[in-house]
Amino acid sequence: MSPTCCHSIFTSSVGRKYIMAITGLMLSGFLLVHLIGNYLLLIDPALFNAYAHKLTTNPLIYGAEAILILIFLTHISLAIKLTLENRQARPQKYYVRKLSGRGATWASSTMPYTGILILIFLVLHLIHFKYGALYYATYDGVEMRDLHRLVIEFFQLPLHVAIYVATMVLTGFHLSHGFWSAFQSLGFDHPNYFGLIKKISLLYAIVIAVGYSFIPVWVYLSPYIAGGTH
Amino acid sequence: MTTSKKLDAKIPSGPIQEMWDKHRFEMKLVNPANKRKYSAIVVGTGLAGGSAAASLAELGYRVEAFCIQDSARRAHSIAAQGGINAAKNYPNDGDSVWRLFYDTVKGGDYRSREANVYRLAQVSNSIIDQCVAQGIPFGRDYSGMLDNRSFGGAQVSRTFYARGQTGQQLLLGAYSAMMKEVGKDKIKLHVRKEMVDLVIINGKARGIIARDLVTGKITRHMADAVILATGGYGNAYYLSTNAMSSNGSAVYRAYKKGAFFANPCFTQIHPTCIPRHGESQSKLTLMSESLRNDGRVWVPKKTNDKRHPSQIPEEERDYYLERIYPSFGNLVPRDVASRNAKNQCDEDKGVGETGLAVNLDFRDAIKRDGLETVKAKYGNLFDMYERITDEDPYQVPMRIYPAIHYTMGGLWVDYNLMSTVEGLFILGEANFSDHGANRLGASALMQGLADGYFVIPYTLGNYFASNKFEAITTDDEAFVEAEKISNQLTDKLLAIKGKLTVDHFHKRLGEVMWEYVGMARNEAGLKKALKEIPKIREEFWQNVRIPGSGEELNIELEKACRVADFLELGELMARDALERVESCGGHFRDESQTDENEALRDDKKFAHVAAWEYKGEGKKPTKHLEELKFEYVPLSQRSYK
Amino acid sequence: MSSSKNMTLNLKVWRQKSKDAEGKMVDYQLKDVSPDSSFLEMMDQLNEELIAKGDDPVAFDHDCREGICGMCSLMINGRPHGPEDETTTCQLHMRKFSEGDTVVIEPFRARPFPVLRDLIIDRTALDTIMQAGGFVSVNTGNAAEASAVAICKCDSDLAMDAASCVGCGSCVAVCKNASAMLFVSAKVSQLALLPQGQVERRDRVLNMVKKMDELGFGNCTNEKECEAVCPKGIKITNIARLNREYMSAALF
Repeated sequence: MSPTCCHSIFTSSVGRKYIMAITGLMLSGFLLVHLIGNYLLLIDPALFNAYAHKLTTNPLIYGAEAILILIFLTHISLAIKLTLENRQARPQKYYVRKLSGRGATWASSTMPYTGILILIFLVLHLIHFKYGALYYATYDGVEMRDLHRLVIEFFQLPLHVAIYVATMVLTGFHLSHGFWSAFQSLGFDHPNYFGLIKKISLLYAIVIAVGYSFIPVWVYLSPYIAGGTH
Repeated sequence: MTTSKKLDAKIPSGPIQEMWDKHRFEMKLVNPANKRKYSAIVVGTGLAGGSAAASLAELGYRVEAFCIQDSARRAHSIAAQGGINAAKNYPNDGDSVWRLFYDTVKGGDYRSREANVYRLAQVSNSIIDQCVAQGIPFGRDYSGMLDNRSFGGAQVSRTFYARGQTGQQLLLGAYSAMMKEVGKDKIKLHVRKEMVDLVIINGKARGIIARDLVTGKITRHMADAVILATGGYGNAYYLSTNAMSSNGSAVYRAYKKGAFFANPCFTQIHPTCIPRHGESQSKLTLMSESLRNDGRVWVPKKTNDKRHPSQIPEEERDYYLERIYPSFGNLVPRDVASRNAKNQCDEDKGVGETGLAVNLDFRDAIKRDGLETVKAKYGNLFDMYERITDEDPYQVPMRIYPAIHYTMGGLWVDYNLMSTVEGLFILGEANFSDHGANRLGASALMQGLADGYFVIPYTLGNYFASNKFEAITTDDEAFVEAEKISNQLTDKLLAIKGKLTVDHFHKRLGEVMWEYVGMARNEAGLKKALKEIPKIREEFWQNVRIPGSGEELNIELEKACRVADFLELGELMARDALERVESCGGHFRDESQTDENEALRDDKKFAHVAAWEYKGEGKKPTKHLEELKFEYVPLSQRSYK
Repeated sequence: MSSSKNMTLNLKVWRQKSKDAEGKMVDYQLKDVSPDSSFLEMMDQLNEELIAKGDDPVAFDHDCREGICGMCSLMINGRPHGPEDETTTCQLHMRKFSEGDTVVIEPFRARPFPVLRDLIIDRTALDTIMQAGGFVSVNTGNAAEASAVAICKCDSDLAMDAASCVGCGSCVAVCKNASAMLFVSAKVSQLALLPQGQVERRDRVLNMVKKMDELGFGNCTNEKECEAVCPKGIKITNIARLNREYMSAALF
C-alpha cells in the first residue's frame, strides 16, 4: 500500500463513497442498538433507567461518544462536501428533467435534505434528553437519572410526538436508500444476493421508522388506552 | 492490353506464398533511434486509420491523427455487425490461408490483385491474436474457446464475432490502442477536424490542410507521409447504409492532386435493408443477410396490388427467386438478389406504401420450425425491424429493399499501399485493392485491420528509409497555396446564397446515381447520368443556400463541401461504369449478361483495374490500366441456377 | 409525402451560437411530421424549413443513425435519448409522439461537456478518461496466439455486456450529479473480467477514476438513473465492480 493509494481513499470520488458507506453503516448499527435500548422503556422503567445508568457511568463511554461523534461528523461533513461538488458538476440546469421511474426514488433524491433534517433533529434530541431535565430515581440504593420519567413527560405534548414521528419516517426514507447504497458503494452487488440486500434494506428502514415512532405514539396514547392518567 | 507505365504495382517476384516474407526482408528499416525523426499524418480513425495510427506510434514514429467526429471511436467501421474472417481453421473444417485467399479472389469476381489478397489472408490470423490481446470479447463456446460462424461465399466457418457488434468491438480495440498512445503524447489527435486538401512538395505528399469544424479555422499540418483511411464513398447515392458524415472528400481531393482513382464504379449493394419510408428518409439500415436462410422472398403476381399481404392467397404470390433460381432459391448472392428485387419493383409489383420493397416472409419458417426457433435465431433482427417500421415481422412479412452498402473502388495503391502520389498511402475501404468487384461478408473488417496493423507499419518504414526528406515548414508555398484554395472554396460556397438546401442537391444526385449507376447499368442510362450530374452540379454552384459564415460551427457548410465533391465523384463513377462494358461482381451491365440473365464477365477486355487520372476542372480524366493476372486462382464464370 | 397520419409538433429547442454565447430555449412549430420518420429525420425536416426561411439550422450531433456509434445525444422531454428504453435518439421514431405534443430538446449538460453550438456538446472528457487507462498495453505484434487462453463464456459474456457501451454520455447527462461512473465502470469491468486485462488492472482503475475526478464529473450516489436510460442497457453491477476493483487496488 503506497502513500498515494491511501491518500486516494480520502480524496477520490470512489474512496469517499466508501467512507460515506462505512460511516453510514456504522450509524445504522448504532440506530439499531439505540432502538433496542429504547424498548426497555416499555418493559420496565427501572430496567430502562438502569441500562442508561450503566451506559453513562461506564468510563469507556467518553471514548465511545467521541468515536460516535467522529463518525457522525465525518458522514455529515463529507455529505455536504460531496453534495456541493455534485451541484458544481452541472452548472447549467435542465429546462425539463424527468425521472425514469426505475432509478431515482423520492428517498434517493432527497438524501441531502433528509440528512440535514436528521441533523437538526439530532441536536434537538440531545438537548431534550441528554441535556434535558434532571430527574432522579433510586433503585436498590443506587441513585440514578430517571430518564424514563423525562421521556414519558416529554411525549405528553402532541407536537413533540409529531416531530419525532415525522423525523423517524424521514430517517426511514434516508435509510431505505442509504442502506443498500452503502453495499453498492462497497462493491457488494451480485445478481445472486443483491435482491436480498435490497429487501433487507427496505425491511431495516421500516423497522427503524416504525420501531422508533411506536414509542412516542404509545407513550402518548397509553393513558387513553388504559383509561387513566399518570 | 498492357499496364500503364504509371501503375507499377511493385508486386514482389516469386511464388505468391513467399512474396510478403521476401518483401518484408527486402524492405529497408528505420533504426529504432531514428524513428522519432519521422512523422506521419493519418486521416480517419476507423479500423484502418485507428490501427495504423496506433501501430505507427508504438513503433516510435510521430503521428498526427484526424477525424471528423467528436471522438476517434465513432467511425462507421463501428456499424459492421457480422464478423471478421480469419484463416485460423479452429473448427478443423478445412480452412487455410490458401482457401481464404481463393474465396476472396473468386468472391471479388476476379477483379482484385492476387498478391494483395494473398497477403490479406496471410495476416488475417495475426489480427485475431492482436484483437484478443486487446481485450475484445469475441464470442466463445462453453469450453471457453473462440467460436466461429459461417458467412456467405465460403463453405467453412471462419468468421469471428462479438455478438452482432463485431465492428464496434474491433474499432474500440483500435481506438483503445490509439488512446494509449495519445495519453503518451505519441499521437496528436485532432477531433472534429476535416482534411480539405493534400499538400505535395517536390512530388511527395508532405501534409494536409484541415478545417476545424468547431471554429471554422483552416490549419496547416506537415509530415513526412500522409495516410488516408477515410472509408468509402457510398453516400454519393444519398441514401446508403453509410453513416451521415461518411464522405469521399479526402480521397477525391487527393485524386485532384494526382492520386489515381481505381474502379470507382465498383459499389456493393446489400439486398436486405429496411426500405425507405418516405421523403424524409435520411439513411438506410441494413439487416443481416442471414435472414434469407429462412425467409422467402415474394411479390404479388398482379401489378400495383395494394392488398395486405395476408389477403393475398398463395396462388397469387410470386416467389420469384425460387422460380428463377430453383437450385439456390432465396440464397442467391447479394447482387443477384438485389437486381431481381429492383426488377420486380420496376414492373410495379413492389409492396408497401412506396412500392419500393419486396416481402421477406417467415410464415413458412414459423410453421415449420415453430415461433421459438425463429425467435432464437433472428429475435434481435426482428426487434430492430419492429422498432424502425412499427410492424411485427412474426405476423406480417418483412419488407426489404437493396441499398448501397460498400464501395470496392477507391484510390489506386501498389503492393505497399502507396498511391500514385509519392508518400500518400491509402488504407481500408478508401483503397481499391483487395475486394475486386465484390466484397465478401466479414472481409471489410479484416482488410481495414490488416492494412493498419500489419502492412503499413512495414511499408511506411521502407518508404521513410528509402527517401530523403528535405526540411520544410508550413510556410512553404505549397501550404500557402493549398490553404488559399481551401479558403476560396468555402468563401465561394458561402457567397452563393441561393434558394435550395444542400440536402436538396444531394438527394437529386442520389436519385440519378441510384437510377442509372445503381444495381443494373446500361449505356443509355449511364450517358444520361453523365448529362444529368453536371446539370445538378451547375445548379448547385448557382443556387445552394448555406446560412452562416465560415468562422463558426456550420453544419451546412460541412455538408456542402462534401456534396460538392460527390457531385464530381458521381460523374467519375458513371464514366467508369460506362467504359466497363462487362458485368462483374457489383457492377452489372445490361449489355453483358448470359442467356439466363446472369452477369457475364469479359476477361479478355476487362481483366484490369481502371485507374483514373484527374486532368483539371471540366476536362475528361485519363484512364490508365493495370492488367490483372490470375496465376493462382483460375478464371471461371459464376452460376447460381 | 403528406399523409393524414402526419402530425404537428411544438418544439422547444436550446439555441446557442457558440461555446461562450448565451443560449436560450426557442419555440418552433413543425407541421407534417411523419410518424415513420426517426427523431433526427424530424430534426432534419426542421432544419430544411429553417434554412428555407433564412435562419441557421439547429446543430446536433449524429452519425451512424443505427444506434451504435454513440454520436447522437439530446435530452428529449427531460430524458436522454427520449422516452424509449434501450433506444438511442437516432433510433427513436416519431410514432412515439402524438399530434400537438410539446417536445423539449436540450443538449446533454455537465461541466465536463461544454456546449459547442445548439445541441452539440464536447465529450472529449470521455476520451481523456480512456487515455488514462482504458486499454490493454499490448503493442501490435506482441500478441500471443488467440486461443492460448480459454476464457469462461460467463466472463466473456459479462465483458461483452460492459463493452457494448457506445460512449454517448447519456449516463452523465441523466445523473443528477453528472457522474461518469457508469461509463468508467463499463470499461474497467470489461478489462477486469478478462485475463488480458489483469496486468494493468490496479493502475487502470486508479488512474481512470483519478482522471474522471480531475475532469469535474460528479460523484455517484447510486440512484440508478444511468442504468435506466442507458441505450445499451449497461448495468450498475459494473459500478459495484469498479468500487471493488478500486478498493482492492487502493488498499491491498
